Amino acid sequence: MLKALRRVAASLGIAFTLVGAPAHAQELKLGALYPFSGGLALLGDESFRGVQLAVDERNAAGGINGRQITLVKADAVDASQAVGEARRLTSVEKVAAVFGSYASGISQAATQVTELAGVPYFELGATADTITGRGFKYLFRVNPTAKNIGDRTLEGLVKVVAPMLKVDPKTLKLAIIHEDGPYGSLVAAAQKEGAAKLGIPVVEVQAYSAKTVDLSSVILRLKGAGADVVLHTAYQNDAVLFFRQAAAAGYKPKAVIGGGGGYSLADTAQAVGAPIEGVYDVDFPQITMNAAGAPGLGDFVAAYQKKFSSAPRSGHSLANYVGAKAMLEVLARAKSTDKDKIRDAALAYRAAVGSTAAGWGIQFNETGQNTAATLNLMQWQQGKLVTVFPEAVANAKPIASN
Amino acid sequence: MSLLLQLVANGLLLGGAFAIISIGLTLIFGVVRVVNFAHGEFLMVGMYVAWLCASRLGLHPYAAVPIVVVFLFVMGAAMQRYVIQSLLSADAHIQVFATVGISTALLNLALLMFGADIRKVEFAFGNQNLSIGSLTFVSGQVITFVVAIVVAFAMHFYLTRTYTGRAFRALAQNRTAAALMGVDVNKTYVFAFGIGAALVGIASCLLTLQYPVFPTVGTYFVLTAFVIVVLGGMGSLPGAVIGSMFIGLIDSLAGFYVGPDLKEVVYFVIFLVILIVRPTGLFGLGRGSE
Repeated sequence: MLKALRRVAASLGIAFTLVGAPAHAQELKLGALYPFSGGLALLGDESFRGVQLAVDERNAAGGINGRQITLVKADAVDASQAVGEARRLTSVEKVAAVFGSYASGISQAATQVTELAGVPYFELGATADTITGRGFKYLFRVNPTAKNIGDRTLEGLVKVVAPMLKVDPKTLKLAIIHEDGPYGSLVAAAQKEGAAKLGIPVVEVQAYSAKTVDLSSVILRLKGAGADVVLHTAYQNDAVLFFRQAAAAGYKPKAVIGGGGGYSLADTAQAVGAPIEGVYDVDFPQITMNAAGAPGLGDFVAAYQKKFSSAPRSGHSLANYVGAKAMLEVLARAKSTDKDKIRDAALAYRAAVGSTAAGWGIQFNETGQNTAATLNLMQWQQGKLVTVFPEAVANAKPIASN
Repeated sequence: MSLLLQLVANGLLLGGAFAIISIGLTLIFGVVRVVNFAHGEFLMVGMYVAWLCASRLGLHPYAAVPIVVVFLFVMGAAMQRYVIQSLLSADAHIQVFATVGISTALLNLALLMFGADIRKVEFAFGNQNLSIGSLTFVSGQVITFVVAIVVAFAMHFYLTRTYTGRAFRALAQNRTAAALMGVDVNKTYVFAFGIGAALVGIASCLLTLQYPVFPTVGTYFVLTAFVIVVLGGMGSLPGAVIGSMFIGLIDSLAGFYVGPDLKEVVYFVIFLVILIVRPTGLFGLGRGSE
């Protein structure tokens, strides 16, 4: 009886595919799952714009194996909504793959659904290491992880910051402070590990809630411990609070290195004012970097300007553009929407470091993580965030902080 | 020793900021008996108005107090008149949902109008760093602290010495009896809600100097404000002020000695202990007054 039922169901399925097939032959549906409303909306939308530009570019060049790409937007404000929207994309919209997701919490939740449904998920922005650490087969992340941010921070400290201060990095006392969500905690853990490996003393590690309205006690601890360099992973409000309250307490570290987030945003710099001058920041590549190490950057900025009539609001669109472009190429090479063929194509795809508009290379490992994505060390100079390291993409020389 | 003094000073000054927010909340709690979950968003709206006054008209936030206060009074009164009033005889949780709805609506309205960016006003007055011996302060914090105390005293006199103040307290004790004594219940509620919101207006002007303005800024303060109001005893002004100082001190001391990520744990544990010992809060009116 069951067998018979199954056979009927199967043949019905075939019938549906047969009926459905001709209508969809010319279009390839891909999902785009980002927070489009709520508190993360600004950067979620900025991320999506990158995907949109990559898709437009691909469609103009003939699409994927002759099929035009249609993006299906899914609004995931938080983890629970991400689950619902991922279900909609995989079961109702029946997309061939999903792009996402800006925030790690959203990515964690959405990928669980897509993995079970057997729909490939291309992560272009979320940084939590744990996303690719779960043994998922159809999840690929193009962007670097929190651990990469931590590693690059220490590298920048040794190669740029310490030489600027004209001291041996091992004589610098480090303080690591961070917001206590997954983003801050993961970056800070990687920084702590990196410092231990290099033998640089860490005098304070302090976590605080990103919703804090007071950091004065944290600052008093750093001041008491005589920390020379502060590694700070923060959102906007807490970054502003830090500088303001440090000034009030008369605490002036020799250098501050931000870990992306609030430190990369022009609004933060504006709100902090003069003390931001000379502050370092490790983050995804920004559009201001040297295009010599990032071919196609100029074209991206021009296309963005044309479509949205403004300059990119942050580096998120660039990272998502580069990631989406690479994954569209993977889909074209797979010549199929079969999940295993896509996986094989992704694992086989190679691009050298310095060959994309973000300066990244592409080389996925078995967990689906791109191992050739890089981060840049930047510095706030006269109200602008300039790239100072690595040299291939640097557009300015570092300056001593004031 | 000077470190401990600095921590205590920081704690009390932070308490000042909490106090000015909590006074309005406790008034609405105490008189209208509505848990106003939109309180944080009132603060946010006030901060945006203050920021607009500063960036468009060049007004110092302290000079914008009358504008913001009137704006928020109207907003609070309208919310009571057109939303809460029609739900007065409904279950308490219906009113709570209404305020949650308004809170969400205001937050997203701000996102729509201003985006998620942070804004800041730049004025020297209120941002000077002062020092007494080895202690350091920011002038705006001291002003906030002083204003909070003055406002608390003024409200206390208002509630005990004027007719409307007495009407507020009568309503707080027993709505039906107050109505029988000739208190116009609806009007007084509208007025009380307006005053509560107006007080947040003062708070927003003071805080705009010290904190950046963004759509979710209210949520950063409001949970603590709720804790303070319950801790001090709902509807009690001295309770709100002393509760604020208490939470401010714990925030500062626990942040230093225990760890900034655990300071909330510390004050929630103390909060729970106090509620177990005194369920009506430090200055609550005793059983039956919630």
